[in-house]
Amino acid sequence: MKIFQVALGILAAIGGFVDIGDLVFNVSAGATFGYQLLWVVVIGVVGIIVYSEMCGRVAAVSGKAVFDAVRERLGFRTGLMALISAQVVNLMTLTAEIGGLAICLQLLSGLPYRWLILLAGVGLAIVVWVTSFDWIERIFGYGGLCLLVFAVAAVKLHPVWGAVGHGFVPHMETESPLLYAYFAIGLLGAAMTPYEVYFYSSGGVEEQWGPKDLGLNKVNAMIGYGLGGFLSFALMIVGGSLFLDKGIEPEFLGSITLGAEVPLGQIGLLLGLVGILFAVSGAAIDTLFSGAYNLAQFLGWEWGRYRHPSGAPRFTLTWIVLLVLALGAVMTGVDPVQLTEFAVIFSAVALPLTYIPILLVANDRAYMREYVNGRLANTLGLIYLFVIMIVAVTAVPLLILTNVGQN
Amino acid sequence: MGSLNGGAALRAAALAVALAVAALATGCNGGTVDSHALKRDAEKVASLATEGELLANDMAKGASTKYFARVHAKELSQAASDLADALSKRPTSPGIESDVRKLSRVAAKTSRHLEQLHLHPTSRNVAKSLEQPLTDDADAADKLAK
Repeated sequence: MKIFQVALGILAAIGGFVDIGDLVFNVSAGATFGYQLLWVVVIGVVGIIVYSEMCGRVAAVSGKAVFDAVRERLGFRTGLMALISAQVVNLMTLTAEIGGLAICLQLLSGLPYRWLILLAGVGLAIVVWVTSFDWIERIFGYGGLCLLVFAVAAVKLHPVWGAVGHGFVPHMETESPLLYAYFAIGLLGAAMTPYEVYFYSSGGVEEQWGPKDLGLNKVNAMIGYGLGGFLSFALMIVGGSLFLDKGIEPEFLGSITLGAEVPLGQIGLLLGLVGILFAVSGAAIDTLFSGAYNLAQFLGWEWGRYRHPSGAPRFTLTWIVLLVLALGAVMTGVDPVQLTEFAVIFSAVALPLTYIPILLVANDRAYMREYVNGRLANTLGLIYLFVIMIVAVTAVPLLILTNVGQN
Repeated sequence: MGSLNGGAALRAAALAVALAVAALATGCNGGTVDSHALKRDAEKVASLATEGELLANDMAKGASTKYFARVHAKELSQAASDLADALSKRPTSPGIESDVRKLSRVAAKTSRHLEQLHLHPTSRNVAKSLEQPLTDDADAADKLAK
């Protein structure tokens, strides 16, 4: 049963790390700069592993999830600011994921997009209502593994492996340094998007982790996000191998799945679409729960998917309201792919408000007893805090200067 | 963390939102087409045509599915059509109007070719017959991008 216990990490990785934001940014980065930005994915993966391990450890030792810590450590006003920014980014991301899910269903079925938005919304509501947390993890975590088809596609596209290897060494060969920086910031923002740790830490509390589960927490974070990083590499290599030389700017989810269809034919296309379907569905559920977790934890309500809906009525009502709001937003006709880019950049702005309190609580001996951060966790935590600050400060200026990555 | 100022953070966030909205507005297909915008739009048209050619090639080999081909070809066609409309109406910088209108016609032609893929998602012959025209569209757009 240990293998099933790792599902939380895999769900967080597939449904969090590889969501619509990663699909878009990784393939676009490959199509624009080839393999040059692979090193940024490594930085993002290590960062999310460091902080997920930290917040999983906090959850296991203190029983507190991220927004418990935010409220206690930032105080009401700044905590409220963190909550608002988190909820705005969550809602944008949820809207993008539902739109992506509907597009994916349309590419599989050919049915009208607007009907599929409704179907996606109703389907998500039913899954969340009737399916246990364990099975949500397993279904969407393991279903998302179909995305591994992009790793096969990357190999079949015969990239220049020397150039791929060079991509893991930071370098910049471009006449558009601002665009390069925009993609680097976007890749970091997509890798370390805050809802991943909201969901991960709340999931740890839901699964009643204790100190005996700290090993599982480490394995979850490393395997799950490591796998997510591997998929990100594959997506970027596909973008670089297939689209860069042809001058194709992949602007649609369909463009991304062409990356599996061209080298592998129909089976590649179908596996790619099914993988994306599970990944964006998992991400939609992650963000849906994250929004409800955050509000409930901040306001001290009863919360948890393991409770019957009547046992946590305000938590249940919150995710229903979030789902309805996101459905309404996507029905307006907003482009999910473009919305994703904004969601990723705004999540980059909100990163410090999520990660600072985690670092503080993980160093608080009153909470953590002998499980406080060691030297390695603190060194990495501080280095990443510095990186996060740079990302947060530069994200919006780069969004403007590059015209949302268009120039 | 008591030193963190919630009001200042709130103002910074509001500014960020306002700037992003401004960025979104500048990303729309409005305003005068200058030589830089012409190059960007020509690259977009070439990208759509090349992607269409890639799709047509897969369809001709039977490597795609009916629904994927139909839906994705429509997405590409619509994007090319939107560009054609915008380029046919927008004011241009002096000296480049003929190139802008020419690009509009290339985009419209690309859209029509992609529409054929959308209408015949299972026909390998139609797909095969559209590969070269889409390559030509991409070449024509590329020339205008230089």
